[in-house]
Amino acid sequence: MKLLTKSTFYFLILYVLAMVAGAALLYLTIKKVIYKQIDNSLITEKTIIEDQIEQTDTIPDFEATFGHQIEVKLLNYPIRNIQSIKDTDIYDSKSDAFIPFRYIYSAGNTIQKKGFIITIFQILSEKNELLQDIGIYMLILFFSLLLISILINYLIARKLWRPFYNSVKIAGRFDIQSDKPLELPETDIKEFDQLNRVFDNMTRKMRDDYLNLKEFSENASHEIQTPLAVIRSKTDLLMQQRNLNKESLSLIKSINESTTKLFKLNQGLLLISKIENQVFHEKKIVSLKQITFNGLDSYKEIMQLKKITLEMDVHDEALVEMNDVLAEIMISNLLSNAVRFNIDGGFIKCHIDKMFFIMTNSGLPLTINPEDLFKRFHKSSNNPQSVGLGLSIVKEITESYGMHITYICRNAIHEIRLRYHIKENSPRSF
Amino acid sequence: MKLLIVEDDRSLSRSINDYLKMEGHICEAALTLNEAVQKADVNKYDCVILDIGLPDGNGLDLIREMKSKRLTGGILILSAKSSLDDKLIGLKIGADDYLTKPFHFAELSARINSIQRRNNYLGMNEITFNEIRINTEDNQVYVHDKLLILTKKEYDLLLFFIANRNRIITKESIVEHLWGDNVILTDSFDFVYTHVKNLRKKIVASEGRNYIKCIYGFGYKFIDS
Repeated sequence: MKLLTKSTFYFLILYVLAMVAGAALLYLTIKKVIYKQIDNSLITEKTIIEDQIEQTDTIPDFEATFGHQIEVKLLNYPIRNIQSIKDTDIYDSKSDAFIPFRYIYSAGNTIQKKGFIITIFQILSEKNELLQDIGIYMLILFFSLLLISILINYLIARKLWRPFYNSVKIAGRFDIQSDKPLELPETDIKEFDQLNRVFDNMTRKMRDDYLNLKEFSENASHEIQTPLAVIRSKTDLLMQQRNLNKESLSLIKSINESTTKLFKLNQGLLLISKIENQVFHEKKIVSLKQITFNGLDSYKEIMQLKKITLEMDVHDEALVEMNDVLAEIMISNLLSNAVRFNIDGGFIKCHIDKMFFIMTNSGLPLTINPEDLFKRFHKSSNNPQSVGLGLSIVKEITESYGMHITYICRNAIHEIRLRYHIKENSPRSF
Repeated sequence: MKLLIVEDDRSLSRSINDYLKMEGHICEAALTLNEAVQKADVNKYDCVILDIGLPDGNGLDLIREMKSKRLTGGILILSAKSSLDDKLIGLKIGADDYLTKPFHFAELSARINSIQRRNNYLGMNEITFNEIRINTEDNQVYVHDKLLILTKKEYDLLLFFIANRNRIITKESIVEHLWGDNVILTDSFDFVYTHVKNLRKKIVASEGRNYIKCIYGFGYKFIDS
């Protein structure tokens, strides 16, 4: 729920509650005032009648009006003094309904010790109507007040929160690679300025860390490669020495191989971290078909040697917008896998259409879970020479471009299926 | 050839020095950019082997310095940074070639020889090795003055062998030389064997001697015996 909606919602609930309580209180108060007024007039009237009875010993002459009725009874004996004011409903045959009345019942004695009873009825319906009218006007007033308050509340909140939404929008556009600062506008609200400062510091820290990491990757590669170069240079020198026996040569050979492996590892990890750090952010339209054909050239001889047959099933140029270096690495890694893990006399089939790049090849059955192939350093035991980074690099590349890659192995037939996003009607850059 | 080795890592500089001396080159070492600039100013080198990341500056500055002073001599960039940019800039401002660390000495030798051939004057584009004569201008090989038809790979292999004659060359360095270091295939050792076998067969068929000695499990040696 949006903050504005939420605050309005709470306001509404509290306001309605307050309104109901207020209305009830007001109703009761008004009702009490009206009753008090009726009661007072009843008492006044009773007193007048009482006075007349005492002074003249006669019953005053009453004009009967609707809803106002006076009954006086004179007695020859004294009675107990009583006075009470109560509500009652009296049946009216004309309208076939009970009509509410307020009445005073008063019993008293004259000085001559003669009792009299006075009962005065006052109809309440007119007063109730008044009460109702007051209620309706009150409701209308409350309701319009409510609407106006909500509107004002909403407008104020919107204005108050504007700097916040602004900051969120700007922070959302934050790009770790750009060297421009976030540039959040000044506000006149202390809390938002505080928030902006936090945003600023956080993004600055993030960018610094990112730059450090990038620098670290490059430095690490530099620092690791030089010692590797030294090791290789020393072994190169060592093996040129005369009178080396077979044993020494084989030792040098192992050192050499390990150095190469270490170097490949370093290169692969560096490449992955570079892709993750989006170092290869330049994009152009590349043709996967073209890259595949170029890449196949490097593998022609080895395919002949292993007697691998190649079947190309190309329906499309497969234009993709991505970094050209990464595109070459991706295709080259896939081709290399298809050739390297193939069997003598096997086959490679390459299908390219508008949606898919599918490479199928024969090989040995997989000894590990196909999903694990994309993880770093997971490799089939069939090939101890491999470093185990090839497919992780491919995965990393495909992920950074929103492509989808799957690996299936069925009956020792391996299939890599790459689903890419095609740029329609894009100019060709080759 | 007189060479200047500009490399800040003492150990590596020493190794390059030792190896190239074995090849019969005269080498001098500079450990800093400053030292390199001074040396290049005073002496004339046939080739400068240049590391880009130096403690007191970028190696590319030496190239600019040499080119502005019109100093002759080839330049081979040596760098740990496999950054494409460095390579392109280096070649653009006048470097002859580029080698990424770590490299095989056999590769370094071959590159230096190739730079030497390119920078030499006319008539020097022929390599003669006993009965084998290679014209590097039109890439033709003659054995006993008879034309030998070689494939591109066999030709490259022959040049590589001659550049590193009397040295042990690992199969690994041959693979990297012929196919680049992106193609690392265990199987490719087999087809190094095929190419070497074919090359040897062709030379022997043209009544040339068999110079290629196989060092089992390791590599080859091109021996002038």
